[in-house]
This record gives sequence, structure tokens and C-alpha cells, in this order.
Amino acid sequence: MQLQLTAEDECFRDEVRAFLKANLPADVIRRTRTGMHPPNEDDRRWWNRVLHDKGWAAAHWPVEYGGTGWSHLHTHIFEYESWLAGAPELRWQGLRLLGPVLYTFGSAEQKARYLPAILKGEEMWAQGFSEPGAGSDLASLKTHAVLDGDHYIINGQKLWTTEGQYCEQGFFLVRTENADRPQKGISMIIIDMRTPGVTVRQIPMINGEGSTCEVFLDNVRVPCANLLGEPGSAWSQAKFLLSNERTSSADLYKARGDLERIRIIASNEHKGGQPLLLDPTFARRFGALRLEVEALEWSVLRVMHEAPSRHPIAACASVLKVRGSSLQQKLTELMVDALGQRSLRQYRRDEAYAEPAGDPLWPAYTPGVTTDLMYLRACTIYGGAMEVQKNIIAKLAFGF
Amino acid sequence: MNFDLTDEQRLLSDSAERYVRERYSFEERRHLFKDAQGFSRHHWRAFAEMGWLALDIPEALGGLGGTGHDLVLLMEQLGAGLVAEPVVDTAVLCARLLLPWGEPALREQLLEQVIMGEVVLALAHQEQQMRHEYEFEVSTKARAVANGWTLSGVKHRIFHGAGADHWVVSAEIEGTGDFALFLVARQTAGAALEDYELIDGTRAADISFDHVLLPQSALIARGDVAQQTLETALDYAVLATSAACLGSMEQVMALTADYLKTRVQYGKPLAQFQALQHRMAEMFVETDQARSMLFSAVRAFETGDPVQRGLAVSGAKVIVARAQYFVSGQGIQLHGAIGTTDEYAVGHHYKAAVVYDKRFGDSEFHLDRANADLRLADDRRLRGALYA
Repeated sequence: MQLQLTAEDECFRDEVRAFLKANLPADVIRRTRTGMHPPNEDDRRWWNRVLHDKGWAAAHWPVEYGGTGWSHLHTHIFEYESWLAGAPELRWQGLRLLGPVLYTFGSAEQKARYLPAILKGEEMWAQGFSEPGAGSDLASLKTHAVLDGDHYIINGQKLWTTEGQYCEQGFFLVRTENADRPQKGISMIIIDMRTPGVTVRQIPMINGEGSTCEVFLDNVRVPCANLLGEPGSAWSQAKFLLSNERTSSADLYKARGDLERIRIIASNEHKGGQPLLLDPTFARRFGALRLEVEALEWSVLRVMHEAPSRHPIAACASVLKVRGSSLQQKLTELMVDALGQRSLRQYRRDEAYAEPAGDPLWPAYTPGVTTDLMYLRACTIYGGAMEVQKNIIAKLAFGF
Repeated sequence: MNFDLTDEQRLLSDSAERYVRERYSFEERRHLFKDAQGFSRHHWRAFAEMGWLALDIPEALGGLGGTGHDLVLLMEQLGAGLVAEPVVDTAVLCARLLLPWGEPALREQLLEQVIMGEVVLALAHQEQQMRHEYEFEVSTKARAVANGWTLSGVKHRIFHGAGADHWVVSAEIEGTGDFALFLVARQTAGAALEDYELIDGTRAADISFDHVLLPQSALIARGDVAQQTLETALDYAVLATSAACLGSMEQVMALTADYLKTRVQYGKPLAQFQALQHRMAEMFVETDQARSMLFSAVRAFETGDPVQRGLAVSGAKVIVARAQYFVSGQGIQLHGAIGTTDEYAVGHHYKAAVVYDKRFGDSEFHLDRANADLRLADDRRLRGALYA
């Protein structure tokens, strides 16, 4: 067992830190740390290009497809440092979700056509999985694709398509046949979001913004060549896609960042004439959450390194999602508590991103906190709801 | 970074697992409490033969010089069986207290006896006003006299005190204010002992020392060395008992899962009820997070830095205590009324959770200790797995 960073790991960390320091301007850091949902689109695309030029856009892809070929630990260090430095988080859908599916199941033409634009951040990807009648029970989806020569005609409605308003391309789950098992007839297909018949509508959310969309597909003609792999094979592709996200569902970097953010707020807010952070009750609440984050971090490292365990690793991976998501909510609740009544102000995007005016009534750390609280009510729902994750753990760990 | 076990570590863990499974069943454990000492010398000698009592003693002193990780692996298995013998008190806590002893011959002789399973040692440190072992203000006094020392004071809640052959007693050296540790033999004249049972079936004692005469050589350490030695040894004891809790939690989950699969109500096994499945999943989450905290602690122990060690082990104790309360409490709940009976194991795991939380500093103490490095926002990050 070896639990310390090696000299080589530390050297790598220094290199990452130096790069981030040299390349991230203050205004990008400020907007990123504000934490609006969706994040600033221009900043995000710009940072994707900067990282691509450095060769670091796809930390977890193999080298042959333009990835870095880093170890899991180095990828972890890179993402950890990037988050804490205030670097925009690259959009997951292309780089993290579809990318590995494309280079694993895609045709040579598909790889050549789509992978470079994902790496450069030139094309953003919409994920078309959920539907009004298919949330956790994805296999009951109804959007269907009917063969018409060398095209499919697609009709249906997708829901909860994250940041669909920004996307040039989308990967969709559609029913290509009515098979005996509902999972069997589902295929994954790429749809250019600019195709006639595709309509994207932003959904107003409780955080005051629109970070997710519904997508209407009305007689959309898509070339058969856009289908990924064999027709009807999407279920295994989707499972593969989700298994690549084993450790990232912990949202560890954000949790670490939130602890720092709470520390800043509670160092500047006062209670009884002293900084809130020094109040024993608050300090203990903070301390308890900090320990939960520490435990989560070691759980991430254990899953990442496939630590020996008497339980299936997939059960431990679901733990990351269960604990990580509930911790996100607890951290933002404590952050809002630290901010106190000021947290009640609703910030619009332009206000939140504005250069801080130095107004003592509204400190620079105020905007974004409550927006995050509201947004994160979704984090125990998306990516496999909490209750579904508990079903999975009960089945994998105990054979129920 | 990697978490793989060496062949020796696998052997250690497997042999302890097998011992508990084959020779330390719940029925066997119930039986051993009939012994007046609250543990079995028979098992104790067997533990010695397995080498477990030598694990945490340095190689130079005849031990195996195991790592913190080795200790965790052993203790997890012993915890699964709720092993009542004073492995931690004797072979971790008190053995470590002997390390600075300036009497090499006596020290090696006693450690040899520990390793051979011939003696049991107990820490006699707490007093009436102390809430737990991490307090170092004692009123027991040691006075230097012509041929040694006299010791006076009342020690409280000495775990395994009556069963021990020697006590390590803390006292303040009169006239200097120095904190000091003394080795006192069980048979020493002038030590009056009152012994009682604890909730987990083990025993503890209160001991009054009334001008007890000790030889010069009884002084193990004094001043900062004595206090640091005690604090280090307590941290190792916490690491070891935390690992035992992990084994206990795994055992509760295994027992409860089996029970839910076989117990039929409303025409189907309880395991098919989602509310109960989810409870088990929550127990799994808590246990998994507790396990992670042990790695956090083991990493900190490896650095050799006492500050990191203290912060990490205290953090682990908070999370482990909460987890074990939850897991064992829900273990009872999922069993129903049978879980509350003395004849069934799961309730004994709950008692172990209570004992664990109260020994070696409670959760409130350890939360504050784990949070001791909290400071107002500055350029330095809070520590984490990748940052000391």
C-alpha cells in the first residue's frame, strides 16, 4: 500500500499549478467561482481551447484519440487543482460522456468527424436521454426512429437536456424497434441540433435560470450513418457511458471548493463581535462537514485505485454518488447559513457577473451562493436518483 | 498511490478472520464472560501464538514492528468477533507507554511477557474529574523518597484493571509539576482495588494508592516525554479500536442481510421491502465512509508527524463513532425485537458502539481536536488527502 503522493506526483501537481496560474485571468476566475448555472459559456469554450492547445482538454482519454494518457491519480490532481484555481469546468457531455462511447463504439468516420471538435470545444453536445414519461425508468422511453431509405425519421420529446440551448450536436436514445425487452430496441444516435424539426426550449428553474431544456423532435431526418454501433445496442453503450463516471459523480472538487468558500464567507461575516468561523457551534458544523468531505475523498481514491474490498466496486461507486450528492446539498446549506439573511437576494446573471462594486452591504462573495443551493436540489435526482442508487447498493452489496 | 495488500498482510487478515469464525463465535464469547476477569487467558495465549500481541511492538524490542495499516487489518477482524481480550490496552496502548522506559532490561523483559501472552497491562490514568484519557491534569502525586517513590491518589475507570498484572499509572511528581508514568505491579502493597462490570461484559476498576512504595526503576517517563508518549499511544489505541468498529459494522451488515433474506412477513422475505433495502444501503454508505477515514488516518500515521496524526485520527473517530452507532442501531431495528435480546449478537455490537464512543475521547472532544487547524481564510488550503 502506498498512500502518499510520490515526488513525481508532486512535480506533476506543481506543473499543473504553474500552468493554471499563468493562464487564468482574474475575471474568468471570478465568474467561475460565482457558480452560476449554467456557467459562463464564453469562458468555458475559451478555456476548452486553451487546454486543447496545451494538450490537456481530455485528461481521461487515451493518447491515440488526443487525450493525455494520464493515470487516474494525475487526472484527479489535475481536476482538483483546476477547480480550486477557479478554472471553468469543461462541459461533461462531449468530453466525459459521449467521447469515450464514440472512440469505443463509433465508426472510423464518426471518430474522425466528431472527436476533434469535442477536443477543441468547437461543438458542444446535448444529452437526449430522459423523457416526460421516462426518468429513472429510462427503458420506458418512447421517442422513436423509423427507417426511411438511408435516413431515420425521428419523433418524440426529450427532457432535462442540460444546457441544450448552447449545443451544436446531440446524442439521443431512440427506439429503433419494439423488442421483447424494452431495453433491447433502443439505439444511440447523433443528431445535429440545427436539423429542421429540432426545437429546444429552455426550462425556467427554481434557481432563477435555465440550465436545462426540453427538446422536441418533429419528423427529424437523420442519416443512418449517425447511429452508434449496431441498432438496438444503446443499453450497453449507456451503461458503459455511466461506468466511466464512477468517481466524478462524487463531485469531490466542488465539495473541496465549497469548504474554502464557506471558510471565506464565515471569516468575513460576524456573530457576537467575532468572525462566524470562530463561533464554536458554527465551527463544529463546519468541522463535521469537512470530515465528511475527507471521507469522500478517500472513497474516491479507493474506487479510483480499485482498492481491495469484500464488496463489489460498483457498490462503492454508488456510495460516491449517494454521499457526494447529499454532501453537495449540506455544504450549500451551510454556505447559505453563513451568509445569513443576505442570502435571500435573487441575483440575475448580469448582476452576479458584474465587477464587484466594493459595496460593504453586498460583499463580493454574496452572488451565486443561493443560486447554487437551489440548483443543487437537483443533484440527488440527476445522474441516477438517490433512491435508485440505494436500490443498486442493496442489490450489489447484499444480493437483495 | 495504491491500496494493495502484501502477502503478509493478507495472511494476517485471513488468519484473524478464520480465528474469529472458527474459535470465537458469539456463543463462545458469551461463555468467556463467566471468567472473573471478563476475558479468557486461553484466548489470550492463543493470540500470542498467532503473533498478534507482538504486532505493534518494535522489532528491536522483540516485536514484529507492524505498520499502522497492519494493526488496522488485524483489529478489523478481531472487531468482527467483538473480541473482549485487552489486545489494544495491553499490546498497543501500554506496550507503547513502555517504550521510553530508561530501564532497558526491565522493559524488554516485560515486553517479552506481553508478546508471549503471559501478562496483561492496563492504563491507570483517569481520575474523578476527567472525562476521558486525553486529559493530562492529574491529582495523583508521586513523591521522591530515599529508595524510590511513593504514590498517592485515586485512579478511576481502569479498563481491565483487576485482570491486569501491571498498571501504568500517571501521576504528578511533587515539587516539579511534571507529568509522569509509573509501572506498578498488581500485587503492590497499599493499592486498594474495586472492580466492576461494564456494559460490554468486560471489567474495569477504581484503584486507590495510599503512599504506595515504588522502586526507583518504576518511573517510565516524566515531563513532555511522558505526555507525548501517552498521547501517541492513545492515538494508536484509537486507530486500533476504530478498525475494530469497522469489523463490527461489517458483521452487523452481514448478520442483518442474512436475517432479512430469511425472515418472512406479509408473505415475502423482508429483503424484498424497499424501505428496508434502502436502510441497508445507508448502513453500507456509512460503513464505507468510515473505512475511508481509516485510510486517512493510516496515511497521517505514516508521515510520522504528530500534528497530522492527531488531526486525522480524531477525524476518523468522529466519523467511525457516528457510523457505528447508526449501523448497529439500525441493525437492531431491522431485526425487530429479537435484536434487543441478550441472546442475539446485534445488540452487543450496539454496546460496542457505545463503549467505543466513550473510550479514548468522545466524539465532541475529537471533533474539536480534528478541527484544531481551522483558521480564518488565508492563501493556504485546508488539508486533505493530497495536502498535509
